Amino acid sequence: MLLTLMSPHPQAAQDPGARAFQRCAACHSLRADDPGGPAPSLRGVIGRRAGTLDGFAYSEAMRAAGRRGVVWDEATLERFLADPETAVPGTDMPFQGGSAAERAAVIAWLRQVR
Amino acid sequence: MNRFWIALAAPLAACTLSLPASAQQVRYYDVPPGGRAHDVAVTADGKEVWWTVQRGGAHGILNPETGETTIVPLGEGSAPHGVIVGPDGDAWITDGGQNAIVRVDRETRAVRVWPLPEETGPINMNTATFDHRGRIWFTGQTGFYGRLDPATDDMKVWAAPRGRGPYGITTTPSGDVWYASLAGSHIAKVDLDTGEATIVEPPTPNQGARRVWSDSQGRIWVSEWNSGNVSVHDPRDGSWRQWKLPGEAPKTYSVYVDETDKVWLTDFSANAIVRFDPTTETFESFPSDRAGANVRQMLGRPGEVWGAESGTDRLVVIRSED
Repeated sequence: MLLTLMSPHPQAAQDPGARAFQRCAACHSLRADDPGGPAPSLRGVIGRRAGTLDGFAYSEAMRAAGRRGVVWDEATLERFLADPETAVPGTDMPFQGGSAAERAAVIAWLRQVR
Repeated sequence: MNRFWIALAAPLAACTLSLPASAQQVRYYDVPPGGRAHDVAVTADGKEVWWTVQRGGAHGILNPETGETTIVPLGEGSAPHGVIVGPDGDAWITDGGQNAIVRVDRETRAVRVWPLPEETGPINMNTATFDHRGRIWFTGQTGFYGRLDPATDDMKVWAAPRGRGPYGITTTPSGDVWYASLAGSHIAKVDLDTGEATIVEPPTPNQGARRVWSDSQGRIWVSEWNSGNVSVHDPRDGSWRQWKLPGEAPKTYSVYVDETDKVWLTDFSANAIVRFDPTTETFESFPSDRAGANVRQMLGRPGEVWGAESGTDRLVVIRSED
């Protein structure tokens, strides 16, 4: 198979967590102030109550999850990333793919992003 | 590539709602649970409906007459997002898990994979469309779009202008290819010879253009996730028109234009499929009978439009009784 990359592009990240985050970066940013995107910024997501980033238009399902007390940590993020629509029925976010190892890597990497 | 498939006899679950306004019949089909059905495609003869088993890494096949389903695994790590019917009649799939274009032969169920090289990293393969030269164009949400020529295996990938965001993609009757950029909030036309993408800005800033579909006139209809609008761009004169979907805080996920130029949308806030008539500028809503349906894409054939409810693992069809 002949493949040609026709324009300069960023090299795929080397850190496993940053590389796994490439899937997330299609919709999520890491900017401190990013209320208008298709998905909420994940800066500081570890420890954040679900559905509470100011200015983002969450689904009612995600806001309800926060009201129920769901806080994003390693366990809740693993369950959510493994099957978003089971963890939070009615969430807007679809399953993104990736292995359990990739999920663990991106969660560990997000812990560092403050 | 080994091929095998599992035939499952799924109970035929049907729920029919009659709506007086335009004589449409809604019907639901259960598919094996847990797979998180994402995109659908119906064959031209209507005998098979395909869906991407995104969480199950497989190609799903529904016989709409019997309700029987068949599951074809696509390979290690597969997480298919989009499926279309190719000019060869086969299923062509954008597989975000394998970072590849995948084809499933309709007759033999044989699977062939064209992966992107490892060094590109996952581009979050999203949607595909064929141009009139037999080449399949695809989007990658991390900021790429590309083209595979199945006749030669030649694959080219371009970095999208303004980076992350490429999502839906469509081909006009004249053969032009356009894609939408969700994170970039724009649509773009691709030069079929050079591959260069030219951005066209919708009038609503930060609208979140998620999917696009062409009507019979080559006008580009856009589902705007952030704004809750449906908009249309006419490349002939550069014009735009837009309409807000009904209800409170709509979130317009997908758009499909049928053979009569009626515009089919999905609104996550309303948990509904919404039909828009551009002539009368009126909306007609078809809410799901289950919460959290999440229909992320629609596709059809004359007289019927199909969608997949990722939240309930069902396929839904709306058939015109006219």
